Amino acid sequence: MTSGDEMQTFVTKDYAQTVALGEKIGRTLKGGEVLAFFGGMGMGKTAFVTGVAKGMGLACEVSSPTFAIVNVYGKNAELCHFDMYRVETWADLDSTGFFEYMDAGSVLCVEWSENIENALPQDAIRITIKLGNTENERIITVDGWEEKA
Amino acid sequence: MTIFALDCAGATASAALLCDGVLLGESFTHVPLTHSQTLLPMAQELFSNCRVQPSEVDAFAVTNGPGSFTGVRIGVAAIKGMADAAEKPCFAVSALEAAAYANRHFDGVVCAVMDARRDQVYTACFQNGERLTEDKAMSLADLSEELRAFSSAVLLAGDGTKKAFEFLSGALKTPCYEADEPLRFVRASSVAFLAAQKLEAGESSVPAGKLLPLYLRLPQAERELNNKQKDLQKKEHTK
Repeated sequence: MTSGDEMQTFVTKDYAQTVALGEKIGRTLKGGEVLAFFGGMGMGKTAFVTGVAKGMGLACEVSSPTFAIVNVYGKNAELCHFDMYRVETWADLDSTGFFEYMDAGSVLCVEWSENIENALPQDAIRITIKLGNTENERIITVDGWEEKA
Repeated sequence: MTIFALDCAGATASAALLCDGVLLGESFTHVPLTHSQTLLPMAQELFSNCRVQPSEVDAFAVTNGPGSFTGVRIGVAAIKGMADAAEKPCFAVSALEAAAYANRHFDGVVCAVMDARRDQVYTACFQNGERLTEDKAMSLADLSEELRAFSSAVLLAGDGTKKAFEFLSGALKTPCYEADEPLRFVRASSVAFLAAQKLEAGESSVPAGKLLPLYLRLPQAERELNNKQKDLQKKEHTK
């Protein structure tokens, strides 16, 4: 990564704007990228991933992976949406198929990336979502992504 | 003696039927993320094409690792199910031994390498069909050191061949080659022949219920998965 190493901050006012930011990033993805999400519950990570799927041109309804641990979208698993909340060990992580999907060139969106910090690739796009000044406002920092990629 | 073998421990998946030393049929694919969907249809078609009933199989064989965590579990689970239903014994074969098998006449050391990501491999060395080193997980840098101890040429085989060759070529004292594509990957036929050898050598088989995957700990997994765990442990330690 070159200029992609710079951190960018976005403020979204509502759900629709969070989806739109996800879509903007989704449009630039070529496959094989890891989007590592940091931030607690109710921050809009699933909204963001809904936008990523849209930007990637996938006609699918994105739902939270909390119970399934991983939801896979697209005919050839183009997008895999993980929730690592309950992943505690390397064996846990292996059993999610994380590495197989990564090797196969899927885009991985990883919620609760805190839990697998040392398994993230160095060029992972790190996305932190924090609550803004209002109930629906979010401050989203994106590290390791460049718009024209 | 009829042996049915499966492999999907790495990037490829295959099924083979061996009857009294004759390879009746084999099916092979090299398509990622499809093993769980293709393996059983592949097996079913193979039985049908070879005019063999699963009930006629005397022993089942599978690569039980090392390799892809998910792939190994798919293969082992499939063979366990089939062998349990047929009430026949199983043989577990090392994926590395199977990758080296087809290249056993190479004049030198055959180094089997299965990709374990992040410059790590599962590896073992063989010469003239004899094992030189045990199955291990290590970094390519450590493998390079190990291979420099051999005075003969090295042939790489297994799904980590390309990656290992890029790292090792030029780093060894002896010539280093990549196995040709048709001989590079684990073949279920090799697994079947290795199981037949085990049977002939009097090695005991295991019942389906006792067949287990073999996992080797990667150097990467020596680290904590997350930094929080490390902090927690530190706290525990200083209490």
